[in-house]
Amino acid sequence: MRGRGLAAYSLGLYGFIYLPLAVMIAFSFNDARRNVAWKGFTGRWYSSLFHNVELLGALATTLELAAIAAAIATVLGLLSSYAMTRHASFRGRSLYGSLFLVPLMLPEIVIGVSLLSFFVRSRIPLNFWSLAFAHAMIALPYTTNSIRARLLSLKDGRLEEAAMDLGASDWQAFYKITLPLAWPAIFGGALLAFTVSFEDFVTSFFIAGIGIVTMPIKVYSMMKFGVTPEINALGCCLVLATVLLLAAHHFLTGEEESGRI
Amino acid sequence: MTRRYSRRDFIGLALSAAAFPWLACKRSAERVVNFFNWSLYISPKTLPRFTERTGIKVNYEEIADDEEMFAKLRAGVGGYDVVVASDYMIPRMRELGLIDPYPAGALKNLRHIDPKFRATPYDPDNSYTVPYMWGTTGIGYNRGKVKSPPQSWWALWDESYRGKISMLDNARDNIATALLLKGYPETTTDPKAFADISEMLSRQRPLVKQYSSGTYIDNLITGEISLAMSWSGDVLQAARENPQLDYVIPKEGSYLWVDNLLLVRGGPNREEALQLIDFLLEPEVNAEITSFVRYASPNASARKLLDPGLLSDPRVFPPASVMKRLRIHALLPPETTQLWNQTWSDIKLG
Amino acid sequence: MKRVLASHLDRGLSWLIRGRDRRASHVLLAPATVWLAVFLVLPLAWLIALSFIRSGPYGSFIWSFNLQNYARALDAKYLPVVLRTLAYAGAATGLCLLLGFPLAYFISFYAGRWKDRLLILLMIPFWTSSLVAIYCWMIILGQEGLLNSLLMTLRLIDEPLNLLNTPFAVILGLAYFYLPFMVLPLYGSLEKIPRNYLEASYDLGAGAFRTFFKVTLPLSLPGVVAGCILTFVPCLGDFLTASFLGGPDSYLLGNLIENQFLMGQDWPFGAALTALLLVCMAGGMALYRRLEAQESWQR
Repeated sequence: MRGRGLAAYSLGLYGFIYLPLAVMIAFSFNDARRNVAWKGFTGRWYSSLFHNVELLGALATTLELAAIAAAIATVLGLLSSYAMTRHASFRGRSLYGSLFLVPLMLPEIVIGVSLLSFFVRSRIPLNFWSLAFAHAMIALPYTTNSIRARLLSLKDGRLEEAAMDLGASDWQAFYKITLPLAWPAIFGGALLAFTVSFEDFVTSFFIAGIGIVTMPIKVYSMMKFGVTPEINALGCCLVLATVLLLAAHHFLTGEEESGRI
Repeated sequence: MTRRYSRRDFIGLALSAAAFPWLACKRSAERVVNFFNWSLYISPKTLPRFTERTGIKVNYEEIADDEEMFAKLRAGVGGYDVVVASDYMIPRMRELGLIDPYPAGALKNLRHIDPKFRATPYDPDNSYTVPYMWGTTGIGYNRGKVKSPPQSWWALWDESYRGKISMLDNARDNIATALLLKGYPETTTDPKAFADISEMLSRQRPLVKQYSSGTYIDNLITGEISLAMSWSGDVLQAARENPQLDYVIPKEGSYLWVDNLLLVRGGPNREEALQLIDFLLEPEVNAEITSFVRYASPNASARKLLDPGLLSDPRVFPPASVMKRLRIHALLPPETTQLWNQTWSDIKLG
Repeated sequence: MKRVLASHLDRGLSWLIRGRDRRASHVLLAPATVWLAVFLVLPLAWLIALSFIRSGPYGSFIWSFNLQNYARALDAKYLPVVLRTLAYAGAATGLCLLLGFPLAYFISFYAGRWKDRLLILLMIPFWTSSLVAIYCWMIILGQEGLLNSLLMTLRLIDEPLNLLNTPFAVILGLAYFYLPFMVLPLYGSLEKIPRNYLEASYDLGAGAFRTFFKVTLPLSLPGVVAGCILTFVPCLGDFLTASFLGGPDSYLLGNLIENQFLMGQDWPFGAALTALLLVCMAGGMALYRRLEAQESWQR
């Protein structure tokens, strides 16, 4: 019976967790400029969102930024996780392991202000590329973790050894065996990295230079300077994007469960 | 020998290698100008029109406060071409080499500016500034939520509005108003005066719901707050959303300020910057901005194009009787500015 | 020529892929390490260096080593902000623990095949930008917001409650956002409890209540500690929640830091405050590591 009480409680807590999002989604269809009372159903905030040139520009910037950051983080993550899992153990290997986790543990504001003061001091321009590179750094733990876990689960390279016994070169073994096996984790890690960059506000807030407006920054200025009813619709789009990205990620790594060798 | 590297590998590699320069090119081909302005300070039509006419893209960034803009420029966060700043900020920016003088004869629409706004104390030889808009600091309020329309600054100290008051989040408006209310000159450095106004502002703190220069507008509209120290045009714009909102210049008097378009030193797009500024001075463009933002225009030709109702609105263009009660901010030496900022940050810390 | 090149490429790749040579490992690790060095370690080092210098008028730097920024951060004026931040973070952590423990318990012991799905559902709001979450709470907590309208309609109150821009709103917002940081470690440690321990306890005649307090709770303590640290530390650095949901009394360390960098032009002081935050974080992590080490030693 205790289980039933707990189930009810958990359901309630999930209600608490999802209530705010539900409210925002509901109000995004409300035919009133203010979030006060229900005035009827409308899709006009979405349509004005999709006709807003500035917002579409922000969306393009955010996507480009996330794609570049995810690409960099994935390549770096793949190289380093390969070395950490497949190479002979060496001194300092665990040190690398914890170094790669540091960006994950630091409070976001620390990363933001340190990058700001460092970039300004070393005259690195605050432009699209410096922001993309910073996002790649923040996303690195996610790709490294994901790929490393997968490589570790692949039983220490016995399959590659078998392939090489059958005459494959190192590259062939890597390219035909390791890479395809690690592929779900690589792509899953890349998706997580993409999401991290896509949703990042704090770092962008501190170091995005002029003219670089990402979606979260747009949401922030709408919240701060107000008077824009499209904000609910925009928030919903961000949530939807997150859900889709996470679902894709789950789909990929969920496959891992069944496709395990 | 078997083929070890398939063609697909190389195509993939080549494609990804090509993507980077493509993205890089894409971002540098167009003509742009980087414009840093206050929030609620331009009409949504203005910049698209400028882009349509000139083909120059405007990167537009908003701030809620002068000090924020100053901090960014001062820190060397580069890339800005045009910024808007208040009168009192000009000598400071000039001294620190943050702005450049206008090249003579670069702006053909400068002739529209009312001579009253030229040769000002903060820019006697008209070299660094072009006035953009002017306005006043006063009280914005919700008619449905106050006992009676406030007439005095002391309404913001009224115990019955506890938790319904918002104050601007900057040293300039708070300290200057407090000094004015207590009858001290704005340039004072007397510790007694500062102790006095600190006490007065700290006393107000428990009544204040939020110190804000941005979100207060939304909070006024939604009824979250009833009274707010505010800037004239912000409230009048908000009144379009909520007709209950009104704005008053308190009877004790207040400040009027003139915001200026400035050329940032080292701005990468000087030519485009001058084009943008000249565009903003065009009477028709300027009139459109004024009608939207509800701040007063220093542009004499633009005023002729305004709706008579707006022109006679005492909240936008105060009549002579109110003008007598308005003053402009004094130009303070750095030490005094620091004293102001320190005092203000101490009050906020509580 | 082409063939020579290809064979060189081959040998190089083999060297990298096999990694018998330690240098090969370092070559593969170099890009990521350099990346972290440039975008993480150097900026942090520079920030810490900055915290030891003095700031002049209008945000200029005066290059002389001193500790005055730290002294200032802990003097009577700023100490209340630090203490308030600790209190808010503590309250949010406590709230998370209170809310999160039963949930973690339910997921671990009763959820069965729903486990994964429930955990994912828990993570979605966290992955959504914190800004969006804060915005949602602004809609709910306002004077004419959802909660007040509901309470008024139910005639539980006559006048709208003042909820937004209060400490309550800030703590609620923090707890809301950081809840998964608490639940996941709790869940992890509950999962590790061998189920036969509980059966043994029941067999020996202990009731559900006693079993929980004598067996389950003590065994889940590592998760409790980990969850508390993982919630507490990011709460310390949060500035968004307080700046949108808080009022004049909710000025936290994060807001103070943001202000020094973006408004106050006192970067060295801001750097010292950030360094303090880092010390708190490092302390938390060290504690966490130590407990983790102890735990694995016990097993």
